[in-house]
Amino acid sequence: MDNSGKEKEALALIAEAEKKMKSSQSFFANMFGGSSKLEEACEMYARAANMFKMAKNWSAAGNAFAQAGQLHLQQQSKHDAATSFIDAGNAFKKADPQEAINCLNRAIEIYTDMGRFTIAAKHHVSIAEIYESELVDIDKAIAHYEQAADYYKGEESNSSANKCLLKVAAYAAQLEQYHKATKIYEQVGTHAMDSTLLKYSAKEYFFKAALCHFCVDMLNAKLALQKYEEMFPAFSDSRECKLVKKLLDAHEEQNVDAYTESVKEYDTISRLDQWLTTMLLRIKKTIQGEESDLR
Amino acid sequence: MSAYRGNRNPFADDDDEDFVGKASGSSGWSKPTEPEDRQRWLEQEVMRTAQSAVDSSQRSVSLIYESEKVGSETAEELIRQGEALKRTERMVDNMDQDLKTSQRHINSIKSVFGGLFNYFKPKPETKPPPEQPPDYKPSSRLQDALVHSKEQEQNYQASHPNLRKIDTGGFGAGASADFSTSQSSNGYPKNKQLMTAHQQLDNNLDDMAAGLSRLKNLGLGLQTEIDSQDLILDRLTGKVDNMDLKIRTTDQQLKKL
Repeated sequence: MDNSGKEKEALALIAEAEKKMKSSQSFFANMFGGSSKLEEACEMYARAANMFKMAKNWSAAGNAFAQAGQLHLQQQSKHDAATSFIDAGNAFKKADPQEAINCLNRAIEIYTDMGRFTIAAKHHVSIAEIYESELVDIDKAIAHYEQAADYYKGEESNSSANKCLLKVAAYAAQLEQYHKATKIYEQVGTHAMDSTLLKYSAKEYFFKAALCHFCVDMLNAKLALQKYEEMFPAFSDSRECKLVKKLLDAHEEQNVDAYTESVKEYDTISRLDQWLTTMLLRIKKTIQGEESDLR
Repeated sequence: MSAYRGNRNPFADDDDEDFVGKASGSSGWSKPTEPEDRQRWLEQEVMRTAQSAVDSSQRSVSLIYESEKVGSETAEELIRQGEALKRTERMVDNMDQDLKTSQRHINSIKSVFGGLFNYFKPKPETKPPPEQPPDYKPSSRLQDALVHSKEQEQNYQASHPNLRKIDTGGFGAGASADFSTSQSSNGYPKNKQLMTAHQQLDNNLDDMAAGLSRLKNLGLGLQTEIDSQDLILDRLTGKVDNMDLKIRTTDQQLKKL
């Protein structure tokens, strides 16, 4: 593989591009079409970045793209600048997540300036994903998802907005911000039950909303469950609703075994995922907590 | 022998009688315990079969729920795609408008006569982008499908012998009541187990039936959505191709200027 060869080429290109930039700042170059020098330098940076990508030198590629983006900004071509910053962000994703986030933020600024909110929203989602996986900063991830959902709502892409809101709700519930999570789940559930295709997922959202209510207070959960059943009759037939009712009964009787039993029964048919297991465990602790209090 | 009859379950009925007939015919009752063993073995066989039926029905129910989950996630993804496609079409229409305007500008730049020509040509109206109501067409078709399938379901259930509510009591308690009037329903654990197994099986079958009908409707909904998106895609391909051509000609014209 001639990757090392590519790297050398790339380095050479970068050196040339830098020379061009410096030369473009001289008086004569500015007189005689200095802008074309800048454009050429831009192009060279981009080519160098692509070669670095081929050589898998991600941070160098990211730097080169960032430089290209900077030059585009100077030339007032915002679109190109933004695309370069996005490329930089993608390259940095593999090397330095923090830098990636910086580049993506700059690109988002440009896009929101131009009024391209959909693309900005998409990149907010990318940033949130980086915070989720690499940098594990859930608060910032939630903030970015919320921002993305707002932009999507503004552009009438409701299903994309709902997707982001669901992630916000899942993380909020994990962080014990139950009120926020419940509101989002109810909102998405109500929206879903009106649509012919989405109503098959509506029961899942109501189930999660009911669980969040449950974590706060049992009475809340009961009232909420009744409300959901009234709103959406198909919900009462679902296994999820039956499970919540059984859990409510077990909680009333302070019977941990019945609780575990019904959870296990549900699990044999549909596996419980990580989030659900966490929430159910928390609710179980409240039962056990009350039991030990009575002792 | 009458004590046996009370304990018997309908599956073991015919076998037992045959066996007893053979035994009396061939060996003339050499071992009085053999028919008992055979009966017990048969009963165990029945329980095993019933249990495995219940287990497999459990598995089927869970599979159906899984497919429903996958289907609903697909539906969400499809709807998202549909929205993106509609947005794309709107933007392509906008681009078309912009291209027409730029073409006029180029014409006026190219020559004086071009400018005059433009004056006489009707102005391209900036018509407001047609607000397409999302998902309304598929929903009406789907509603019809839903109504039809519900009607069909009623007829189907009434006519199909297997779907009529089978009296599960008839398997366990009923059989014992037939064979012996002094039978109380809580005397014989085997019958009860069989009864519960059958009840469980019936419940699972009901769940499966409901799940399958939901899956069918989901599938129909997905199909309508995919069809409409197909149409949009075809239209979009044509528009984008036209646009490509226009952009290229505009580019060439600009180069000549």
